[in-house]
Amino acid sequence: MALAGIDVGSVNISVVILDDGRILAYRIVGLADEGSEPRRTVDLALEAAGLGWGKIVAVVATGRGRSSVDFAYRQSSEVLCQARGALWLFPLARTVINLGAESSRVISLSDDGRVKSFATNDKCAAGSGLFLESMAYLMGVSVAEMGELALAAETAEEVSSRCAVFAESEVISHVHRGVAKERVLAGLHRAVADRILDLVSRVTIRQEVVVTGGVAKNPALIKELEAKLGIAVCLPPEPQIVGALGAALLAVDQPQQ
Amino acid sequence: MIERLRRLRNDRHQDAREWKQRTGNKVIGVFCCNVPEELIYAAGMLPVRILGEPEEATEANLHFPTNVCPYLKRCFDQALKGRYDYLDGLVVPNVCDVIRAMYGSWKLNLDTPYVQFLEVPQRISPQGVEFFSQVLARFQSSLEELSGNSVSSESLRHAIDVYNRNRALLHQAYELRQQGLVSGVELQGMVLSSMLMPKEEHNQLMAQYLDEAGQRHASGEGVRLFVSASMLDNTDFFQLIEDCGGRVVADDMPTGSRYFFYQVDGEAEPLKALAQRYLERVPCPRKMLPQARYQYIIETMAGAEVQGAIIHNLKACDCHLYEYPFLKEMLEGKGLPVLFFRGEETEAEREAHRDDIEAFIEMLRG
Repeated sequence: MALAGIDVGSVNISVVILDDGRILAYRIVGLADEGSEPRRTVDLALEAAGLGWGKIVAVVATGRGRSSVDFAYRQSSEVLCQARGALWLFPLARTVINLGAESSRVISLSDDGRVKSFATNDKCAAGSGLFLESMAYLMGVSVAEMGELALAAETAEEVSSRCAVFAESEVISHVHRGVAKERVLAGLHRAVADRILDLVSRVTIRQEVVVTGGVAKNPALIKELEAKLGIAVCLPPEPQIVGALGAALLAVDQPQQ
Repeated sequence: MIERLRRLRNDRHQDAREWKQRTGNKVIGVFCCNVPEELIYAAGMLPVRILGEPEEATEANLHFPTNVCPYLKRCFDQALKGRYDYLDGLVVPNVCDVIRAMYGSWKLNLDTPYVQFLEVPQRISPQGVEFFSQVLARFQSSLEELSGNSVSSESLRHAIDVYNRNRALLHQAYELRQQGLVSGVELQGMVLSSMLMPKEEHNQLMAQYLDEAGQRHASGEGVRLFVSASMLDNTDFFQLIEDCGGRVVADDMPTGSRYFFYQVDGEAEPLKALAQRYLERVPCPRKMLPQARYQYIIETMAGAEVQGAIIHNLKACDCHLYEYPFLKEMLEGKGLPVLFFRGEETEAEREAHRDDIEAFIEMLRG
């Protein structure tokens, strides 16, 4: 019998179908996409797994929009689900840095895998995925390619790390001055990494460090972050489903429906 | 009865106006836990705590920059919007930079007839107490002049008795909260209403309420939490904690234990006794006495079997933010995980707070 975890974030819905300790299928759907809603996303994941709803014994929901999942057996916080998911993928994980579209968080785990402490940043846009997205739009590149482009730069142009609004006007003036796109992008990634580091410094960093969330797919950001932390981080094969995976793993603890 | 206390928070302006009309006496606005309200009471006037509203300040933005205490800004905003036009006077203690600036702005921009600046010494020492009792003597004279009533040491002793009784009743409710007979929201409602209504009436309602609460069945549910806050002037944050499965069983905040912990010595010379209680015993971070603060915080948690701590500081509240890392270290040293918020306590922040509080409670449940 299978279990489902669903993560309703501020930009995407992700669903993971788990069976017998194995990920059978997963799906990520943008909230802006047509027909995107929690039940439909589970349908898609079930279809990919070749299963029907009858095979699902429990659904656990997480993410900012978790309360909208009326068919979930239980709702759980993003902190706990990210921690569970990361630990399942990397059993030696002791720190999880979750970089979402709107908010980022850092979670510290004890040796027995429990959440020891965590810190969230959701006030300032400067460290968020949506900030990177709006900068990509501003520079006329796609989110998918911005990281690769930044990696191609030999040096980085200075960009303020303190405020998304100021950073935007700085980027515009760099563009007007004719600074190479790659250099501006490299500066932007450095600035975002600085902001993330402010957050990360609120807990004691212990290895292994796992980075999750959509922003973890950006290679330039991961490179900056690793350089600043002075360590190599662990990256899940699909960083965007770690929350949903954690939720599915929590479903294991549920009594059968 | 608790409904009456809770409603008062919202109906406070109407209540104060009605009291004025009924008694023909004056209403005096008060800021902060460092103002001995007993003196105002003894002069036959009604002290009411100035509170903001959980709405964005609009008018006050023209007078204050964005990086100042959102609570004081919202209070001033309410005053600029005319909601405090019934006040006959206002007492502003010298406790922080923003309140000092607001004293001047209030005097300049509003026509409250009596605006008194109360000098609270920075140094907490026998000399400081001596100085503060002299300040209080002058404060007493100005209140006598304003009210037309003289304050005898007998009337002041009576005021101290009434206030001590109120503090004792609130303390009793604090203990009932630890036992699960009173909720965090209820106790905060009691403290807020105590700050707004005539103390004798509040004492009667409290006694009745405590009798009722004593008959309840204790609720053992919820993760037991300690909350330290710079200023929570409504019950929304506590409501959020309780909605998420937490139970506030101990607190350190101006609209909580700091208002009613420690009595005024009813036997001693009244002004000296007031100076001592308000200067030495009200333990806020502004007084820069870390050891006394920590001792007090430990006292607030005694017997409460606290499982975790939430610290809520308002944006730009320098005194509390300066203290935060030390307080966090102290609490963690006692094995208590700490969740920290720094914000403006607006509606918009609440959802993000809910996420973190739920995660924290899940973490504490293990």
